Amino acid sequence: MKKIFALFAALALATATFAVEIGKPAPDFTGTDITGKTVKLSDFKGKIVVIESYNSDCPFCHNHYASGAMQELQKALATKGVVWLLVDSVNTNNFSYRTPAQAQKEWAELKIAATAWLDDHSGDIGHLYGMKTTPHCFVIAADGTLTYDGAIDDRPQPFGDPRPAKNYVRAAVDELLAGKPVTVTQTKPYGCGVHYAN
Amino acid sequence: MLGLVCARAAHTQVQLRLSADTAKPGDTIWAGLDLKMEPGWHTYWKNPGDAGQATEIKWQLPAGVTAGEIQWPLPEKLPPAEVTTYGYENEVVLLVPLTLASNLPAGALNLAAKVSWLECKESCIPASAEVEAKINVGGETKTSADATTIESWKSKVPQKGNPFSLNAWWEKSPVGDSRSLIIGKQPSLVAVKNKKYDSVDFFPDASEQFEIGAATEIISAYSADLRIRKVVKKFSGDWPKEISGEIVVKLSGRQAGFDMSFPISENSPMLPSQTLLFMLVYAFIGGLILNIMPCVLPVIALKILGFVSEAKSEPRRVRNLGLIYALGVLLSFLALAALVIGVKAAGNHAGWGMQFGSPVFIVCLTTLVTLVALNLFGIFEVILGGSALNTAGELASKHGAAGAFFNGVLATVLATPCTAPFLGAALGFAFAQSAAVIVLIFLTVGLGLASPYILLSWNPAWLKFLPKPGAWMEKFKIAMGFPMLATVVWLFNVAASSYGKNVLWLGIFLVVVAFAAWIFGEFFQRGRSRKGVALALVLILLAGGYAFALEKELDWRKALPDAGTTGSLKESADGIDWQRWSPEAVATARAAGKVVLVDFTADWCLTCQVNKKTSVEISSVREKIKSLNAVALLGDYTHFPDAITTELNRYNRAGVPLVLVYPKGADAAAIVLPEVLTPGIVLDALDRAAN
Repeated sequence: MKKIFALFAALALATATFAVEIGKPAPDFTGTDITGKTVKLSDFKGKIVVIESYNSDCPFCHNHYASGAMQELQKALATKGVVWLLVDSVNTNNFSYRTPAQAQKEWAELKIAATAWLDDHSGDIGHLYGMKTTPHCFVIAADGTLTYDGAIDDRPQPFGDPRPAKNYVRAAVDELLAGKPVTVTQTKPYGCGVHYAN
Repeated sequence: MLGLVCARAAHTQVQLRLSADTAKPGDTIWAGLDLKMEPGWHTYWKNPGDAGQATEIKWQLPAGVTAGEIQWPLPEKLPPAEVTTYGYENEVVLLVPLTLASNLPAGALNLAAKVSWLECKESCIPASAEVEAKINVGGETKTSADATTIESWKSKVPQKGNPFSLNAWWEKSPVGDSRSLIIGKQPSLVAVKNKKYDSVDFFPDASEQFEIGAATEIISAYSADLRIRKVVKKFSGDWPKEISGEIVVKLSGRQAGFDMSFPISENSPMLPSQTLLFMLVYAFIGGLILNIMPCVLPVIALKILGFVSEAKSEPRRVRNLGLIYALGVLLSFLALAALVIGVKAAGNHAGWGMQFGSPVFIVCLTTLVTLVALNLFGIFEVILGGSALNTAGELASKHGAAGAFFNGVLATVLATPCTAPFLGAALGFAFAQSAAVIVLIFLTVGLGLASPYILLSWNPAWLKFLPKPGAWMEKFKIAMGFPMLATVVWLFNVAASSYGKNVLWLGIFLVVVAFAAWIFGEFFQRGRSRKGVALALVLILLAGGYAFALEKELDWRKALPDAGTTGSLKESADGIDWQRWSPEAVATARAAGKVVLVDFTADWCLTCQVNKKTSVEISSVREKIKSLNAVALLGDYTHFPDAITTELNRYNRAGVPLVLVYPKGADAAAIVLPEVLTPGIVLDALDRAAN
């Protein structure tokens, strides 16, 4: 009887697989950045990694860059050794798709201060992480575990200064750097839906 | 391109409409914010879903006019599936009640509002517009030209209420931060008029703490047992205690929404207590009837033997043994209940007799029953210390406490692949209930199973009708080994469905075990010298048989995958033309206007096999099926496929057999046949279904 129970218990675990889960290792991925370089998540092991689902045509995302708040945060975290990856999962037929050349131009114009912008037009990374919106953010601890999954902050508005809002990504990274457990681990991401292929 | 978001909208036109041109002080009039979207563009509902943003209205109203909350017409669920949103395409009129104070002076008033929305197509644009309208406050109420438009949009706002008497309950324990939630009807035992909806859905209100996923799994779209499954993802805090939103049903192209909120129970809803009592009675009668079902019959023979040998004993001893037997039964049922609760807690479907879906269990049980048969044949003895006992007189002590307890356990284990009349309903009820109710029902079934023996042992006077113990008992004991052998053959056949032709190695293992048992009995138990050598040989045989036959050749912990055969499952050339069951197969056949016979069965289900032989796979039923041009579908539950468990649950059953006959006409509910069939029952149901 015990064996049967063990069998069923094993079955339960097998069926309960999720893309990403807080406290579990963040799944590895390989992507190509807009300069053609191959970027692998596992290359950054030992560093805190922020992943941001990006599309600057989305007014919510755009507002963070137009106000300069996002670049400030990227710079501030970079000095603390934090890696910041933009994941752009917009499909190639969409109006918001950027060719590598267009993306490099946008990178310079907006003075983006992230580590890399990954061209994910296949949607592989987006689907792997279950990215719903732009900006949908993730924070991965230095040991590779996922510690935050959700909105960038608590202000789901496409206008105005985002700086006074509670920034969940900054809070999570600060707590990780201080060796403390992350307080807010999940929130509902806001923004525009990711324009996946098909 | 980046500056685009700053540009003022343009894909949505907004207009403020009022239900009245003139209104009296104290009236409540309706404001309608008419949003017209260009083709392909959409705006969002109060819960935008995975992305997007709800439309907002900021009123600039003169003193004495107060605006209520937005009444949202039922939205549509918008694709893509991975980012599902709730919103409106083409046009929506958001309705707001405006209350005029009773002391409002007469005259014209300007009502203005700033409307902000997010409009999306291939990309999203935040936009806003200022709108205004005039109303005259006067001595009478005069409706406006827009009143009918507003009325028609008001009819699209979901009504408050719970016309389906729905409840919400957690189906399983959480897995990580996700947990599956059932929204459905309380189980009902009374047949209700049944209507099948084209679709059933739930659009939840927005929440910061948790998210109810957009995907909806319809378990039943029938009005009598409406039931859907949603997955809730928790962001922070405790699991929600309550949910609210709109239940959306669609029927022939028309949809209706009902705005409701309900608490989430930890367990599936309980039936009223009198029904529980009713079910306990069912459980007891079902357990009683189990005694004469084919599964348990071999054990009865053992039991009779026990009583005969006990007949001359002291009444107190007889009574005690009866109670110990009952204890064996009850503890086994308790173990089964624990298994069911455990499996349910692990988030799996549990079913009556589910252990028979495990080939490992089948192999162990086959071996055990083989040993019981060999023991009855006298090849070896089961004794705890001391020497072997051979005479009938000594049999009594052999059938002592341990024997009585073992009989109880064996009776329960062998009973599980059978369901009996009454038992199906009771178990079907139990499996959907809380742990306490499961335990209560299971124990009651056990009590029913054990009750004849408790009664007999309590009134040893009744035992006088049994023959006197004597030498015949030794012969009877051997004779009783044969029903046990028959059980072995049945179990062997069940194992064949898991191992295919490799089941040969199980047979070889059984022969090795039998040989080892003989050496054990003959040379160890009854032997005089070199007992150690005999015991060593027994152990070598068992270990070798296990390692070679079970582990190496049979690979007994790995069953063959289910052969996904399609096409006919006909058993003989002129047999019923069975097709593999699936919900789609039922739907297709019903759409074609055919009567459908569905037989859910399993290799290990003896009741099913008996039903098949006596009442289903018989010439009169074959001919009836042919003449009605009915479709016969076979659902094989041998390895517990989830799809069939779900279907069984729909009919409040926990196990097979379940035989259904669907009448012609897509909306008619299926006729559920009883557990034990006669040809008449099947033929009658088919006839009724055809008319």
